[in-house]
Amino acid sequence: MSIVPKETIEVVAQSIGISNLSPEVSLALAPDVEYRLREIMQVEAIKCMRHSKRTVLTAEDVDSALSLRNVEPIYGFASTDPLRFKKAVGHKDLFYLDDRDLDFKEVIDSPLPKAPLETAVVAHWLAIEGVQPAIPENSPVEAIVSPSENKKSENTKEDGLLVDLKLPVKHVLSRELQLYFDKITELTVTRPESNLFKEALVSLAMDSGIHPLVPYFSYFIADEVARSLNDLPILFALMRVVRSLLQNPHIHIEPYLHQLMPSIITCVVAKRLGSRIADNHWELRDFSANLAASVCRRYGHVYHNLQSRLTKTLINAFLDPSKALTQHYGAIQGLAALGPSVIRLLVLPNLEPYLQLLEPEMQLEKQKNEMKRKEAWRVYGALQCATGKCLYERLKMMPTLLSPPKHGVWRINPRIAISRIKRKLSTNNSSQQPPFKKMAVDGPAGTIQAIATTTANLQGAEDGFAPQSSGAGTAQSSAPGQVSIDSIGSRREKGGSGAPKGSVVLAQAWKEDLDAGNLLSSLFQLFGEGILSFTQSPEKSFFL
Amino acid sequence: MEEEELQKAVLTYLRKKGFTKTELALQEEQQNRLPSHSDLPLSRLENSPGRYKNGYSKLRSWAHCSLDLYKHELLRVLYPVYIHCFMDLVAEGHMQDAREFFQNFREDHELMHLRDLQKLEGILSPSHLEEMELARSLRQNKVRIKICEYSYDLLLQYLQKTQSFSILGIVNERINFEVSPGQPISISDDAEVVALVGSSHDLAKHINQKEVRWGLLEDSVEERLEKGNSDSEKAEDENKEIEPEENKKRSAGGGKQTAPSKKSKKDKLVAATGKNVRSETSTVAVAPRVKPELTLPVMPMEVEKMIINDLRNRVQLSSMALPSVCFYTFINSHNGLNCSAISQDGSFVVGGFSDSSLKVWDMSKIGQSATLGEDQSTFNEHLVGTEEGKSSCTVFHGHSGPIYSATFSPLGDFLLSSSSDSTIRLWSPKLNANLVCYKGHNYPVWDVQFSPFGHYFASSSHDRTARIWSMDRIQPLRIMAGHLSDVDCVQWHANCNYIATGSSDKTVRLWDVQTGECARIFIGHRSTILSLAMSPDGRFMASGDEDGAIMIWDLSSSRCISPLMGHNSCVWSLAFSREGSLLASGSADCTLKLWDVTSSVKGQKIEESKTSTTNRLRLLRALPTKSTPVYTLQFSRRNLLLAAGALSKC
Repeated sequence: MSIVPKETIEVVAQSIGISNLSPEVSLALAPDVEYRLREIMQVEAIKCMRHSKRTVLTAEDVDSALSLRNVEPIYGFASTDPLRFKKAVGHKDLFYLDDRDLDFKEVIDSPLPKAPLETAVVAHWLAIEGVQPAIPENSPVEAIVSPSENKKSENTKEDGLLVDLKLPVKHVLSRELQLYFDKITELTVTRPESNLFKEALVSLAMDSGIHPLVPYFSYFIADEVARSLNDLPILFALMRVVRSLLQNPHIHIEPYLHQLMPSIITCVVAKRLGSRIADNHWELRDFSANLAASVCRRYGHVYHNLQSRLTKTLINAFLDPSKALTQHYGAIQGLAALGPSVIRLLVLPNLEPYLQLLEPEMQLEKQKNEMKRKEAWRVYGALQCATGKCLYERLKMMPTLLSPPKHGVWRINPRIAISRIKRKLSTNNSSQQPPFKKMAVDGPAGTIQAIATTTANLQGAEDGFAPQSSGAGTAQSSAPGQVSIDSIGSRREKGGSGAPKGSVVLAQAWKEDLDAGNLLSSLFQLFGEGILSFTQSPEKSFFL
Repeated sequence: MEEEELQKAVLTYLRKKGFTKTELALQEEQQNRLPSHSDLPLSRLENSPGRYKNGYSKLRSWAHCSLDLYKHELLRVLYPVYIHCFMDLVAEGHMQDAREFFQNFREDHELMHLRDLQKLEGILSPSHLEEMELARSLRQNKVRIKICEYSYDLLLQYLQKTQSFSILGIVNERINFEVSPGQPISISDDAEVVALVGSSHDLAKHINQKEVRWGLLEDSVEERLEKGNSDSEKAEDENKEIEPEENKKRSAGGGKQTAPSKKSKKDKLVAATGKNVRSETSTVAVAPRVKPELTLPVMPMEVEKMIINDLRNRVQLSSMALPSVCFYTFINSHNGLNCSAISQDGSFVVGGFSDSSLKVWDMSKIGQSATLGEDQSTFNEHLVGTEEGKSSCTVFHGHSGPIYSATFSPLGDFLLSSSSDSTIRLWSPKLNANLVCYKGHNYPVWDVQFSPFGHYFASSSHDRTARIWSMDRIQPLRIMAGHLSDVDCVQWHANCNYIATGSSDKTVRLWDVQTGECARIFIGHRSTILSLAMSPDGRFMASGDEDGAIMIWDLSSSRCISPLMGHNSCVWSLAFSREGSLLASGSADCTLKLWDVTSSVKGQKIEESKTSTTNRLRLLRALPTKSTPVYTLQFSRRNLLLAAGALSKC
């Protein structure tokens, strides 16, 4: 009948001392109680709430409503915050207030609560000429979404006037593309040797519609390289996939290079690639090095720091003696692939000390481990190859420098000059003491070559002209010995190389735009006859 | 029940195929058949409480099955029949049946009349009917329903044939049909039907035929400025040599001189800017002029100069040029902030708290100098370094209950506050003191507003009256009685001759200040009116209610120009821009919205001939705040929108 049951009335009556309330009275009272309650709660209290500019009813509002009706307020609800009701367990719509008993002792013992912060007013711009500035005081853009959408449905005319929102784009892949991706990745991982995979690579390099898959591929490659460092075929297959993607003219791969490059570099300079000894990881390193270099060539102009970062990584790997020889090999290959100028600028200055380090590794007596020795020879070969290429380029570029024979003959290795300076103070007039100087210069170089030749003979690989080469070396180095250091300086100036006069620091000298003759001579000293295969016949004959 | 469903299916089929005549024929046949079908049970139920339920449910299903063309008209009849059935049941003492009946059909009407239903729900005994004013007024007054001839005939036919006399009785007794010949009225025009409030429509109609002189005051500062501009412009155009003479003439003829001490060089400047000013104030200019009925206070010279300066520098706003909004956020208010107000120049902000204290912040002292004497760029710079020195507020104690409203005088030298202790207090921010305590209301004073020229103020209270006061008398000058429930808000007309009041009885009334009589009743809102704003040209009024609806009214024709749902929650505050082209509304849903008034008003003018005028107000921009309900809005004289609200943590 009424929401207030008559039992409630009876309980209330008992609480104020009326014990013998007849059921008729309580029945008649119940509806009136409900009416009064509604009046207070739904009419008066709501009014007070509205005028306090709130949308949540508080105990205070009910109190003011009661006082409006000249009723004694209910005591015990002093908080201005809205009451927190708890739901009674097991009842659908029964709520109660969590009203715990407080122990006075606890209250007294507890530290004083923090004083509430004082009310203050702060001002900010909600909008400037109708546009909301993006300042922390304003609500973030996300908060606008729902109301503005409501508005849109309400009056569609105003669409243009509402705040433009950029919603996150959901990447949708067609079913076909998903299939394609799954197929390719499966092939890469499971059957990298099959013909089908080759076809897939061709497809990757040609297909114009796979651009949406690029982020997935780049992620796949990065992920898979990290996972299968022990599986050479897969690594190789992955690198092939990278190459195909790079070849594809239809896709825009630049944004994903940052993801791909680490994988490629890993394949160049990783300590171990593949699990078996027989694995030909050298080939993979060469391949990846070329890949990295090609990326640099293609996108170097877009990402200016791409090449510098790559070379930095590689040169660090190269110059760190604690790194494995395989890593050195990779680094050398990587640098070599970047072009002769990189070799000239970065490898050659460090060539001599490095070879000194490498030397013991290559010798049978000092390095017992066959594997290690082989690796060392690999590195040696790579270095020779790289420097040789560099030399070849130089010679090709400036053949004229060699044509006047006297210049070529007089050209002197600054290093030799320096060593001379180091050894003797009176190098300037050293022309008077050719034999001495010759001895001095030939000392280290000759030994290297001697060792080189012996080891070469042992391996029987590089060249069979060891004696001649050493002879040629001596002859060549003896010839420029007659030129004073002053003359070198003056010649340099003549050549217009722009080198600082009298620069004697070795590394710096190498970095200068030196002519090829010096290079050749020094390289000849370091590598012996082997290097000559990189020179063209006229020059070779000239030197010989 | 099965038969009913079958009928429905057939009817929908016919409707789908477009067999209107067949459908009508079928319906008539049904009507003929129905009485015979339910003759027996009806007669048996004639005196039992079940007859209401029975009759109503039949009427309901009949109305729902009727033709779409007439359906909405017939459905309108349902609500009054429903509530009167319920009240009849209560009056007859069938409490149980009444409750059951009410709950059964409540859902139908919840959408439109939720608040009324909530109130009526509590009625359980005949004595409550007498006590509750809503029920009483419903019982005493007839509901007016516009209906077309054919629908009316259909309804009567149905009622007679079904012999449901209880329903027929209610329809005859409680509903006053305004039968119009021809086609049924379009659905959009059902604003009238919503106004099922007790106030009698005839009375409203009668009152609304009075003339309202809504024009602006003669000889206002703006007018004088404009006149001065046009004069000087003319002078310059005609002959530059006679300028000084013209100047003298003008100063002599204009009564109060606008700018007599100005050098001719400065005058030229004025003329240059004059064009802009004139175009800005053009809306104001077209308004007719009226004489003030109150003796208005004389404005000091320097204040007038300041106002003129502000007028010259006013930013012109339109739908293309939206205002800048400066928002004052009350932080750490602990749910205690009840109201706030901003002085005309934005330099003072006042907050009224539920702990009966009133706090005034001097924004210029805080170091962010909100004085608008500076241009906006420097204002902005000042704003950047706001964070320090927040505590420079003055606390006024004096009230003994929550403060519900506060307002600054137009010149910013006085402050009024109204409280639940039924008093209004006048404070001086300069002296930091309470000057006067005005006692007159018997119940909490919900709202107090200074007149646009100061000195006079109006208050509205829970005692269902609005009162006009002047600062120098402790007794009210006028008492406006007539609202059927609390007067929740009050607003002055631009010419000070009228005040508007919004009430819990869902009406807005316009009162003549001089006579104290009601000049207009605006019916249309569906819930308590919480905010009012008057357009600066005096022609329009905006009102916002608890449901978030905003309506714009034409004062002269007392018609609603554009009803709309503006917000999702209570509209706390409304403000017209200074030249009247924009309306800003602030709401509890934490948004501030800007509406285009010009376009909707113009549209109204064009459509005036067609009589059906319900074009929506165009929303220009919704500016969400960071969980801060917007309590106050005010356009400064230079059209910078100032807003205030308390940050609520939720």
